[in-house]
Amino acid sequence: MIKFENVSVLYPGTEEPAIKNVSIGFEQGEFVCVLGRSGAGKSTFIRCINGLQPVSEGNVKWDGKSLSEMTPKENLEIRRKTGMIFQHFNLIPRMSVVQNILTGLFGYKKSYENLLGLFNPNERKSALEAIKQVELTVEPTRRVENLSGGQKQRVAIARALIQNPKVFLGDEPVASLDPGTAERIFTLLKETHIERNLVSIINVHDVVLAKKYATRIIAFKKGNLVFDDTPDKFDEKVYSEIYNH
Amino acid sequence: MVWFKRRQFFVFLFIAVLAAYSMRLTEFDFSKFRDFENMADFLSKWFPMNTESLPYLFTESLLTISIAFLGSLFGLIIALPLSFLAARNTSGHRIIYAITRFYLSFLRSVPEFVFGLILLTTLGLGPFPAVIAIVLHNIGVLGKLISELIEAADNGPIEAMSAVGAKSWIGNLFAIIPQIWPNVLSQFFYRFEVAIRTSLILGLIGGGGIGQQLFIHFKTFQYQLVSVDVLLIMLMVILVDYIGGKIREKVI
Repeated sequence: MIKFENVSVLYPGTEEPAIKNVSIGFEQGEFVCVLGRSGAGKSTFIRCINGLQPVSEGNVKWDGKSLSEMTPKENLEIRRKTGMIFQHFNLIPRMSVVQNILTGLFGYKKSYENLLGLFNPNERKSALEAIKQVELTVEPTRRVENLSGGQKQRVAIARALIQNPKVFLGDEPVASLDPGTAERIFTLLKETHIERNLVSIINVHDVVLAKKYATRIIAFKKGNLVFDDTPDKFDEKVYSEIYNH
Repeated sequence: MVWFKRRQFFVFLFIAVLAAYSMRLTEFDFSKFRDFENMADFLSKWFPMNTESLPYLFTESLLTISIAFLGSLFGLIIALPLSFLAARNTSGHRIIYAITRFYLSFLRSVPEFVFGLILLTTLGLGPFPAVIAIVLHNIGVLGKLISELIEAADNGPIEAMSAVGAKSWIGNLFAIIPQIWPNVLSQFFYRFEVAIRTSLILGLIGGGGIGQQLFIHFKTFQYQLVSVDVLLIMLMVILVDYIGGKIREKVI
């Protein structure tokens, strides 16, 4: 479904590519955790999948078609199909829980509808259902800056769910949460993944979480893809190869 | 001198030299206050206040507030979209950024008074040219200030809007406006306050309002009315500051 063909990304003003010559593919139903030290290239890799980060060399293909060959409309379509959650949640401040969730529909609606907040009853109902699904127990009208980290991430997941995604991307979604909340968020992600038969690709620092939830683990070291296998193959030896200098 | 570097000492020295030179040019001399008595004598002529014309001056004050309010409001409405074109992260193209920045700098560099004088030739005397003059200058000022707020906005929500597939202008609007809104309101109310003072100056060239009355009262030595004018002006500025503070408090 998603295929990387010899992908490299070089940021302007740097000499060393953030990711180098990466070739890999993902299929429906896979729950993939991406491991690696800070700066190993995990975020760059995740951002290449939905085109948030353009590639310098190679191709990222969706169902056989390269992102770089797609029209802007097709690119937006890819983003619509991709629910993405972030380490710092990236919610819109000063807007309520339900308003933030409804912004997940922006890719589907006309500009004037987004501008005026014209959402039909079904869409509003979907937003409320998404709140239920992520087990958020706060008032939908509450402003997001007044929520805890775990609650904010649940809002972000609900925003991604309302997109009706085929792919779920997570850029260190639990890095700013305490271990208990991180575990609960991962459980929620896995349940949603199974229920909707998604492709989920999630960056994470916590190896224990990755081994517990992933169906496949990949790992980066200095921009190189150095591991790609099932969680049981990720042993002490692999761990020290990836995380030691 | 742990806190200071040698370079900072030279910066300080440079500022001190610049200040001394400016003081020389401006004949800055506190000893000139020896004629302080003249000022006290002059101010004593302002009292008692002549409150007979208060209802009329109050109406003129409302006109001044209207000029300032419209000048700031329309300035903000036009400056807001322009500021997105004048911000590096949202302009879309370097040329658009450069042209918009230049346009805003031009509007900012022309004082309202000059705009007022130019507009008099086509619009004649009255408050309307004063409103337009304030609008034009405010577009330049607010456009620059808001574009800087946009550039300093957190990129996270912008990225999130991009990730959901929102068109970039919609994404920018929704991700940035809520972040900068309290500061935009602060700037608006500050410019409103400044516009009140500006409209007084524009009164000198026939812009109407309390400024024009102040000018007339000064010219005709009616100092007991001047004190009423000044009091009303002070009340207007304090009122705008108070209302602005309350609104901002509510928004935050």
